[in-house]
Amino acid sequence: MEASYQGTDERIELSKKEHKPLQVNPIKHSQPMGAALAFMGIQNCMPLMHASQGCASYTKVFYTRHFNEPIPMYNTSVSDITAVLDGGDYSILMAIENITKKNKTMKPELIGLHTTGLTETKGDDVRSVGTHIEIPYCYVNTPDYEGGMESGWALTAKALIKQHTKESREIKPNKLLILPNVSMQPVEVEKLKEFCEGFGFETLALPDLSTSLDGYLSEGQGKLGTGAISIEDIYELANSGTVVTVGESMKIVADALLEKNSNITHLHFKHLMGQDMSDNFVASLMKIRQIEPRPLVKRWRGRLQDAMLDSHFLIGSSHFVVTGEPDMCVGMCELLQSVGGTIDAVVSTTYSPVLETIDASHVFVGDLEDALKHFQKADLVISNFHAERLLHTQEKETALVLRGFPNYEELGNQLKNDLLYEGSTQFLFEIANALRKVKHQH
Amino acid sequence: MVNRAKIKELMNESACSHSKDKKPGEGCDMPKPGLAAGGCAFDGAQISLFPYADAVHLVHGPQTCLGASWETRETLSSYEGRDHTYMGFTTGITTNDVIFGGDKRLEDSINYVMKHYAPEAIFVYSTCVTAMVGDDIDMTCKLASENHGVPVVPVHAPGFVGGKNLGSRLAGEAVLEHLIGTKEPEKLTPYDINLIGDYNVTGDMWQYLPLFEKIGIRVLSSMSGDGRVGDIRGAHRAKLNVIVCAKSLVTLCRKMQEQYDIPWISVSFYGKRDTTFAIREIVKALGDAKLIAKAEEVIAQEEAKLERDLLPYRELFAGKKAVLNTGGNKAWSIASGLQDLGVEVVATSIRKSTADDIEKAREYLGENGVLMKAPASEQAKVIDERGAHILLAGGRSLYTAIKKKISFIDVNQEKKVSYGGYNGLLNLAEDLKYAFANPVFANVSKKAPWEMV
Repeated sequence: MEASYQGTDERIELSKKEHKPLQVNPIKHSQPMGAALAFMGIQNCMPLMHASQGCASYTKVFYTRHFNEPIPMYNTSVSDITAVLDGGDYSILMAIENITKKNKTMKPELIGLHTTGLTETKGDDVRSVGTHIEIPYCYVNTPDYEGGMESGWALTAKALIKQHTKESREIKPNKLLILPNVSMQPVEVEKLKEFCEGFGFETLALPDLSTSLDGYLSEGQGKLGTGAISIEDIYELANSGTVVTVGESMKIVADALLEKNSNITHLHFKHLMGQDMSDNFVASLMKIRQIEPRPLVKRWRGRLQDAMLDSHFLIGSSHFVVTGEPDMCVGMCELLQSVGGTIDAVVSTTYSPVLETIDASHVFVGDLEDALKHFQKADLVISNFHAERLLHTQEKETALVLRGFPNYEELGNQLKNDLLYEGSTQFLFEIANALRKVKHQH
Repeated sequence: MVNRAKIKELMNESACSHSKDKKPGEGCDMPKPGLAAGGCAFDGAQISLFPYADAVHLVHGPQTCLGASWETRETLSSYEGRDHTYMGFTTGITTNDVIFGGDKRLEDSINYVMKHYAPEAIFVYSTCVTAMVGDDIDMTCKLASENHGVPVVPVHAPGFVGGKNLGSRLAGEAVLEHLIGTKEPEKLTPYDINLIGDYNVTGDMWQYLPLFEKIGIRVLSSMSGDGRVGDIRGAHRAKLNVIVCAKSLVTLCRKMQEQYDIPWISVSFYGKRDTTFAIREIVKALGDAKLIAKAEEVIAQEEAKLERDLLPYRELFAGKKAVLNTGGNKAWSIASGLQDLGVEVVATSIRKSTADDIEKAREYLGENGVLMKAPASEQAKVIDERGAHILLAGGRSLYTAIKKKISFIDVNQEKKVSYGGYNGLLNLAEDLKYAFANPVFANVSKKAPWEMV
């Protein structure tokens, strides 16, 4: 097969502006897809995409193949006629009626409605539809010609708080809310909650995929969201003592919560990978609770340090390219750099200020066409599964570790844990083992 | 631009067997809010055209349309140049384009693609947003075509006009309007056919094309499995259109018959009987005695070889009973394949089948076969009553298999090997062999210690 064009020879700067008129082999995913996933992380939520059937179908297939799970996903089936004649109310109300009529046993506790490029272009006002529905209703504006998956997810969490969380002046000091970014897989949310509970916190996460799409065998899946946080919990979030944001994208969500109660302590972490960030996190929790971590936490820190030493020789002599959502990229880069890894390039799906903090030769918003040139020189690439075939076409053997959406090829994506002492340890081993295969076999 | 008259015409296709049950003018169903599942028109159009590996497929729309759909289908190609089917191209429009129009971006994108990838053609797909803001895609494509000297084909199948099937028809219209008849084939034989509607998923076509070669049938062009844009441009010179397992492209075949006097037949290559039947139909339609004789010779050889290869499986599968729950023509085509392997098919689903499909299912399953109208609620009972050993269905039926402790094959899952042609049966046989032997469904039905009390 002929080699592909490898992008411009000119240096691509980090910018909110695009450097070319199109995307070739895109890695970016749309805002509506992030919103849909967020609603799946709410208990008994009916994710309803205000769109033509295709948007929802693509999203459903995308997540079905990534998670290998049945995906709850509904749509308002906007047609060319309703696109012109209906302001949104008809399609949305009819859709809810038709869906609930068809599934009589289904008892949604929240309708999670979000828009798409189509319905934003036609200019539907989706705010007031909720007044005609008895079920609690949350709306989010997520055109797919703006932002990306990361922002769609964050906007949804923000909308849930803005529209449903009751104002409060009280706080429960032991109540902690985690706001995870979209790249965190179900098990990572679970591990993080467990970690906080270990410090004696009553812990919630929003959205909470730890009991949704987590690869759990049970009957009747795929009808409604099965996330671990309910709408009742969301009403009462403003009495949390502490809110923890993981990832730059989630800051807007914490801001929305602080508007409901300014007494909440906000702890922000741009990621939770590697020793430094984990230490900061632990120090913050210790300070609030005035207790020592559990013995196993200390044990894992030692294991991480050992893993850092064990893997530093391989990783420290290697060059990396990382592609994906900004909040994911930044953590992986800093962890790899903490053991001497050289980051040649970071190719991000969308712009985020956090990208400015990454110390690498090339950091920019782009696609896999742009990334290809950097793949040629790298020892290991971290990317979604789309990079796999591209790497096969190049002569040099480059290792690949799959992270980010989508991963259609590997199984068990929802149980990959890269966070805190334990996840970082496993991540380093995975990277080092992948490097070993390409570097030492000759 | 999107043409409502054309859409109406396509929704009332006279040659489609679905239309038989409808009142005049009623046509295909429009999507009902909340109940339309499955892909949109754009999805269908893309599926129908994407296998052209020598063309670039440029999606003019916002992020979801291509971002979530590229590199999802195992449509294999033997194209020796750069295979564009593994690539994704999108204008990925932003707010600015929605407000000011995306024509400039589209033009720049086409120029970029021509400069760096120089494909044989570009298909430009409109989507809901670019159709609604009124981008003049036709004009941009026309100018680009003149400018670059390759076909730049506008495909007007934005998602909101309907489902996959309609989109596939609209793709057929685009090909008919812009490609077919625009170039003369370099070489012609009396046995030239066009293959319509096989997308070569997992190499399905490659299971039967060697047989064509032995017999002397020549594939002039394909729409679009392992196809080349250059070939489809000369498709108007074929002697016969062969439509494979697809209802959506009958309009294309009917119109080619009207415009170019090319007759068409509809066949399937699933299982031994269907493959043999398909070959006979093709050579009969081509009407050459020598070709027919050669075909019989090849059929005899291939069937004999297949019989030998299948013998061990037949012994293995003797007495095995299957329940099949899948849609459309798979309801009888997979049934046919199973029967060829000596598996008794005791029930199949006719939930989404046309009158033709139901008739065929009855013929294949015989008088005692159960045709399930509501398979979700019926299949468990049928498994008990008939003592079925395996359930072939979509992932949603997994629990039925676990509860009944029988084997299971997910027939809707993306498959990695082809079940097509004579040799595809051996792949199906292998999958069945492993499925029958696999204890996993019985194992995961076991109770946990804390459920034992």
